[in-house]
Amino acid sequence: MDDHLVGVLSNIGMISFIALSAYLLLIVGEISFGQQAFFAISAYASGIATAMWGWDFWPGLAWGAAVAAAAAVLVGIPTLRIRGLYFSIATLAFAEMVRLVFEVFKYQVEIDGEMVGPDGSDGFRDIRYIFENDITAVEYMLMIYGLLAAVLCAFFLLERSRLGSIFRMIGQDPVLAQMQGIDVTAYKILALGMAGLVAGIGGGLYAHLTTFVEPKIFNVMLGVHSLAYGLIGGLGTAFGPLIGVAIDIGFLESIRAISGYRMIAFGGLVAVLLIFRPRGLLDEAAVNWIRLRLRRRHA
Amino acid sequence: MIDFVQNCFDGVMLGSSYALLAIGFTLIFGVMRRLNLSYGPSIMLGAFVGTLVFLEFRAGGLAVAAATVVGAVLVGIYVERLCFWAIRQGAAVASMVSSFAIWMQLEEVVTIAFPDRTYPFPPLTRTEPMDFGPFFFKVENLIMFACAVALTLGLHLLLYRTRFGLRIRAVAENPDAARYMGINIAAVTFLAFACASAIGGIAGYLIVAQDGQITPLFGLWATFKGLIAMMLGGMGSIPGAILGGLLLGVVEAQNIWYLGTEYRDLCAYALLFVFLVFRPGGMFGHTLAERERLALRRV
Repeated sequence: MDDHLVGVLSNIGMISFIALSAYLLLIVGEISFGQQAFFAISAYASGIATAMWGWDFWPGLAWGAAVAAAAAVLVGIPTLRIRGLYFSIATLAFAEMVRLVFEVFKYQVEIDGEMVGPDGSDGFRDIRYIFENDITAVEYMLMIYGLLAAVLCAFFLLERSRLGSIFRMIGQDPVLAQMQGIDVTAYKILALGMAGLVAGIGGGLYAHLTTFVEPKIFNVMLGVHSLAYGLIGGLGTAFGPLIGVAIDIGFLESIRAISGYRMIAFGGLVAVLLIFRPRGLLDEAAVNWIRLRLRRRHA
Repeated sequence: MIDFVQNCFDGVMLGSSYALLAIGFTLIFGVMRRLNLSYGPSIMLGAFVGTLVFLEFRAGGLAVAAATVVGAVLVGIYVERLCFWAIRQGAAVASMVSSFAIWMQLEEVVTIAFPDRTYPFPPLTRTEPMDFGPFFFKVENLIMFACAVALTLGLHLLLYRTRFGLRIRAVAENPDAARYMGINIAAVTFLAFACASAIGGIAGYLIVAQDGQITPLFGLWATFKGLIAMMLGGMGSIPGAILGGLLLGVVEAQNIWYLGTEYRDLCAYALLFVFLVFRPGGMFGHTLAERERLALRRV
């Protein structure tokens, strides 16, 4: 496979994690502009673990994702009491705070005569684990997709479980859910923690692929994109956000002729879809229709 | 002590630009109960129209100001039609996301049309700073402060002394009741949106003229500063927007003096976050979130 294609596919895979994490919150009816914060936290945490503490890749990735999930729960406790617009703005404020903290965050150690570690706005260089251990780009891409498949399986199990129904119910009508004896705030915090974990897996993978992270990558635009993927692709199934990512990165960014106008096309697409299909291309009705068709064919 | 007082004066001057931005923001929110995140970028596009007039025709300050306001209003109308008018009633969050998507679009339009990124803008005045005893003031700042006061008074007269203002207040209070009284809600919100864009255009002209240059980053800056100032004061409240702007200005000025510029934005976001968590209604706003929480607790 040629390098460009591997690069594009790896990017699609990694961005899918953050899109799925924003999607999970959309399911419980909250809009977060701040999922890039958890992506960033894990990118730094897992990078520090492998490049500075000498950990292996998998423990480092798990550590990064766990830190991101913990951060999400800690943010969720104060912010999920406030709803709607206020929650969205609070996540936006939090994400910008995280980015600005990384702009001044310095923590370096000397390894083999070189200073390694986050250096404020100059970013965090030399997260070289996959090069030092001779993992090729194709192998790494397969690792990304393996993890993505595992996360997708977890999402499908979730949709079939009681927890999934509770999430959807809260998203449909929080007051009704409360009347059924469901602790809405606690479940929303759980959803935010799970979303933080998923974004964290993506962030750790990202740091090791690019070997270099800097705070300004994790700006608001990343957050808006990840949110928009779910809204374009649809909120009926976990395939929705993946379709959104494929449209944006696979189509708009990768084809040279249109990549210059990517934001114009993408922004317009989101705005138009919000008017005509407020729950995305694959919304609940479309998913049910497809399921019905499939069942009939088998019967 | 003199430093502290001088910082407070500087803060009030800085804050008057934030207050100007917040007034337009809060007018839109007050009438529609929706948040227009494209507000800053539409002002930015207006300011680029002003720059174009300045560079092409060597126009004077007044013509540039007029071009900026007209540009901001035209872009504002585009945003209103696409993100607010076309999206069904009651979908406040969809409008917010849609305006965020259009923000990306507007920013891309500017970077394609103006590839050099930084463009000159005619300065407001070239007078030297004035001093009063141990304190000194920049003349541009005094002009901005005077404009903020004048615009607030003008808006107050418009809202409380004209029939159009009465209609705006009726729609803000209760859209259904306003409709039964024969008020054309779509027309009123459209005009209020255009008014807010014009105020934004004036604010944008003053701020950009003070800087003497414009970059595409101005949109992000204007949206965030206006949003934070509005949130601190309370969404939908005009006195709140002014006090919020001044508070933000004073906090930032003290911060720059005592902590350094790296912490300026970090502190502004932290202030916003704390306000959202502990007092989502802001200093002056209605306590919508609190009322909702009470309703949920009762069931």
